[in-house]
Amino acid sequence: VEVGAGEGPPVRPDRGARTFGELIERYDREILAYALRLTGRRADAEDLFQETFLAAFRAWPPPRRGNERAWLYRIATNKAVDGERRRRPAVSIDDLAPAAPERDGVTMLDLAAAVRVLPAGQRAAFVLHAVNGHPYTEVAQVLGCTEEAARARVSEAMKKVRRALQ
Amino acid sequence: VNTLELRDRLASRARREGLASVAYQTVDSPLGPLWVAVGPRGVVAIHYGAEPSEAEIERVLRVYGPGIIPDRRGAAQAARELDEYFHGRRRTFDVQPDLAGLGEFTSRVLHATARVGYGQVTTYREVARRAGNERAARAAGGALRSNPVPIIVPCHRVLATGGTLGGYGGGIRAKEFLLSLEGRDSTVTDRARRTVPDRAR
Repeated sequence: VEVGAGEGPPVRPDRGARTFGELIERYDREILAYALRLTGRRADAEDLFQETFLAAFRAWPPPRRGNERAWLYRIATNKAVDGERRRRPAVSIDDLAPAAPERDGVTMLDLAAAVRVLPAGQRAAFVLHAVNGHPYTEVAQVLGCTEEAARARVSEAMKKVRRALQ
Repeated sequence: VNTLELRDRLASRARREGLASVAYQTVDSPLGPLWVAVGPRGVVAIHYGAEPSEAEIERVLRVYGPGIIPDRRGAAQAARELDEYFHGRRRTFDVQPDLAGLGEFTSRVLHATARVGYGQVTTYREVARRAGNERAARAAGGALRSNPVPIIVPCHRVLATGGTLGGYGGGIRAKEFLLSLEGRDSTVTDRARRTVPDRAR
């Protein structure tokens, strides 16, 4: 049987990544965008991006096959929280341009306020839900808490952001 | 945002930490994109197409584990040599093929094939003989079709005993192209066109 030139393998989105390359190809853009929104700064986002994937490689295999995406978000979130404990970032609006939110109703000002006023854990909740549009179940998965706690964290974050913008 | 640069940086850190051992990249060629993977002992895979096949990924995984990573620097020499070959500026490859993880007969057939020079051709029966079993021409054809490193292990230089083209993992047109690139067009390909239906398209 001849194999035609350029014929790719069947696409299996339901199947977990088997190699680091598959993990990178599927999620690198998304994780970089998330890192930009979490850190608000290009250089910090790139560091967070590298640290997230390296940590994933070191911890390989993922705890559950087919759930690598939530796993990566979780690693990125934990790294961001850890990094935050070491230093509070100084953020300008200009730094946030590459992280411009995609969702209606959330402006760059909201994001700037989030980065400025929120502790990393709440900021992650805010970015995941209000900016990226992840449902609460996924936010809970990433943050390693119950759905209820995720709702509470997002709502607390929203309150603080609104207050910061008044 | 240039993710390629970020990927390269990630790859070099992963390599320094010993987390990744196989670098891959997609190389443009006159035969379309080629997926090229390079491990610590040489070129592990060249696949016709931008994505590797299941069988190829399985083999590389089995031999080298999950540390298979997009890395333009790690695959750069192989990519450059392929490019030179396709531009007619290279007749032998300095990068070595890595045939780890293949069966013994397949491996012997491919080693025999690797010794067929640029612009030369041989037959399935002959490589079978050199692999130690002259009567295994058909099995040699099978081994060549599963050649994980085409072009560098030049299975396109192995023809059917009657002088027809035989098969090719990358499609018969790719085989014709490579042979004519090496200066062996008309006779063999014209005869092949008459006798071998092109199942690749």
